[in-house]
Amino acid sequence: MAIFSGLLVLGWVTHGTGIVKDDPERNIVIPDELMSELQVKAAYDGEKIWFRYRWPVDRPSLFNDVLVYQDGEWETRGGEALGPNPDFLTEDRVAMMIDDGSVPLFGRYGGYITIGDGLTTFTGVPETEEERTKYLPSTRTDPNDFEALKPESDLEMLRAAGQFIDLWQWRSSRSNPIGLGDDGFVAEERGGDAGTGPYTTNWDSATEQPLYMFDPDVAGSAALSIDAVTGGDVGFNDIYYLSADTALPFDPTLAWKNGDTIPRRYLRPATGSRGDVVEPSVARWRNGFWDVTLERAMDTGNPLDDKIFRDGASYDLAFAVFRNASTMRWHYVTLPVSLGLEQPAQMVAERIEPGTEPDWTQPWTEIKTFYPGQVTWGRLTDARQHPGADRIAQRVPVAVRHTEEQLALYGVQMEFAEEIRRQWIWTLIASLSLIVGLGINVNLLMRRREDAI
Amino acid sequence: MTRPVATHNPITSAGKEDDMKRSEVARRGRRIGLTSAGILVAATGAALAHGADGGVAVAVEGAPSWSLSPVYHILVAHFPVGLWMTAYLFILIRSFSDSKFAVRVQNAIWPVAALGTLAGFVTYGLGLTIYPWSAITESPLGRNHIMLATWTLSYWTVMSVLGYRFRRHLFVGAQRWITFTLATIGAIVITITGTLGGSLTGTPSLVTKSLSWIGWNVYMTFYLPTWMLAVYVAGALLLIAIGIIGWKRRV
Repeated sequence: MAIFSGLLVLGWVTHGTGIVKDDPERNIVIPDELMSELQVKAAYDGEKIWFRYRWPVDRPSLFNDVLVYQDGEWETRGGEALGPNPDFLTEDRVAMMIDDGSVPLFGRYGGYITIGDGLTTFTGVPETEEERTKYLPSTRTDPNDFEALKPESDLEMLRAAGQFIDLWQWRSSRSNPIGLGDDGFVAEERGGDAGTGPYTTNWDSATEQPLYMFDPDVAGSAALSIDAVTGGDVGFNDIYYLSADTALPFDPTLAWKNGDTIPRRYLRPATGSRGDVVEPSVARWRNGFWDVTLERAMDTGNPLDDKIFRDGASYDLAFAVFRNASTMRWHYVTLPVSLGLEQPAQMVAERIEPGTEPDWTQPWTEIKTFYPGQVTWGRLTDARQHPGADRIAQRVPVAVRHTEEQLALYGVQMEFAEEIRRQWIWTLIASLSLIVGLGINVNLLMRRREDAI
Repeated sequence: MTRPVATHNPITSAGKEDDMKRSEVARRGRRIGLTSAGILVAATGAALAHGADGGVAVAVEGAPSWSLSPVYHILVAHFPVGLWMTAYLFILIRSFSDSKFAVRVQNAIWPVAALGTLAGFVTYGLGLTIYPWSAITESPLGRNHIMLATWTLSYWTVMSVLGYRFRRHLFVGAQRWITFTLATIGAIVITITGTLGGSLTGTPSLVTKSLSWIGWNVYMTFYLPTWMLAVYVAGALLLIAIGIIGWKRRV
């Protein structure tokens, strides 16, 4: 009994170890925290709608990719990374997907429906020139085949029918410093609305030099130092971004020295439909939280790019938060949340007087966010891979069956699906052998009374 | 029916008694087998007749051509759980009491446990028909439920054999505490298996949560590191070896 019980205890203590660990070769990096939180409020006045977001970030990332002078050349550092960028050269971000009920299943499964097979950074997906972004299943002849894009005429028809998700984004480095958001969509791809975005690349590929540098009269010098940038010594009171107000055309004749650092993005006013989402004022990180407000006209006049907000209507939202200098799929997402404008919903936007600003006195809507791992829509809807596929076919909302914590744990385990399954089968066999061993042992050692005499 | 009169030869008499006991056991076995088969046939018929016509039919990618509704597994699962837990209750009573009632209850332990095991096999089989193997073994909760169900079934098979072979001797001297400990482990695995089943159907219980307080989040697959697998197999061999050595010494 002692041996058996001891082995049970030892098994209990050591279970679940030995498989789940970072494996950059396979694009696997597991965040230290699988869960986080997001607070959201909304208000509208009949003309404009505001969303306010607040989420925890230990250290804000004010930079995304930068150009660093090294031995006569300008090198790119930061931007995309597997998991958290150790130099904090990946910006913080919040994204909000909006639908008005036109996209099938979005209100029940949120962003999961946009995760097709073979997206960039997923394990086993080869690197491609162009990023393979999320997309809506209805835009493909085979929803699980990224390449199976429907003809342009079909895509136009879907767009006209409202089969796209409005995507608002806020970026701590590439939009916030000049008080902008970024207005995009998810349909056949994740893209920006018509017009120009709030940033462009600060790079002249002909000369292999930056196009802009800091204006020394404004910033104090033509460049920052890489140590100050990565060490977190550059703050909101410093000039840390390039824009019309802070930049000059690059001067190659200056005495550049190793470690001089210039942002790789030049910020500019967004134009067209892409510029619909703006900030009432530049957001700041305070006391461990980003506090961001975005505003947009309820009716932008671009119904093929944007979901139009109407009084008395309901919408479905899903959020993503990028923190700890992470990007790509290393984000924290939410399950879909309903938004009501004078309608009962999980989150009700407050109606304010036309022409006034929100006073934000209403309580926050607290939303759990979680690391989603690598879970594709194709897997979820395939009964051979997901026991709940029939529930999805019956349109049972994800929140009925799974909590955010559960989904985070499942998402991580999905990244090691085969290894865990194999180890589990071996565990089944080994533990069964132990029970059989115990059975034989006890049957041989137990005594009948007459044996004992 | 006239009972055979004891002869003067005690050896012959004992042999006849053994024969009678064996034939009685065989008769009981046949009865139990026939009853179980009847129940199984009825349950299968009901399962096959279960309405596939309710609601709107939906096509599911990769859906198996045939599967049983989970309700039958859930329904039948209450039999082994109830029977095994009853057996555990009787063991509990007998372990702590030598009263007439406890001794009387003791006689029911192995039949109740054995019936539970029989129902357990039926339940286990029904459970495997609900989802394709490839799907249920993709689900951490599904894997855990299968793991615990396998433990429970194998463990209570062992308990049933033990109960049948040793009966009242299970409570002789210090053996009663071994029986009590074994049965308590058995009751714990039943409880965990049941609660995992509940979690699978979307109704997690306090047991589900309490397991995470003592180190196991049931939404994480229970698996052992490779070195621990080797330790388990070595442990199994050691247990068998100890059993054989002890048995040989006694013989």
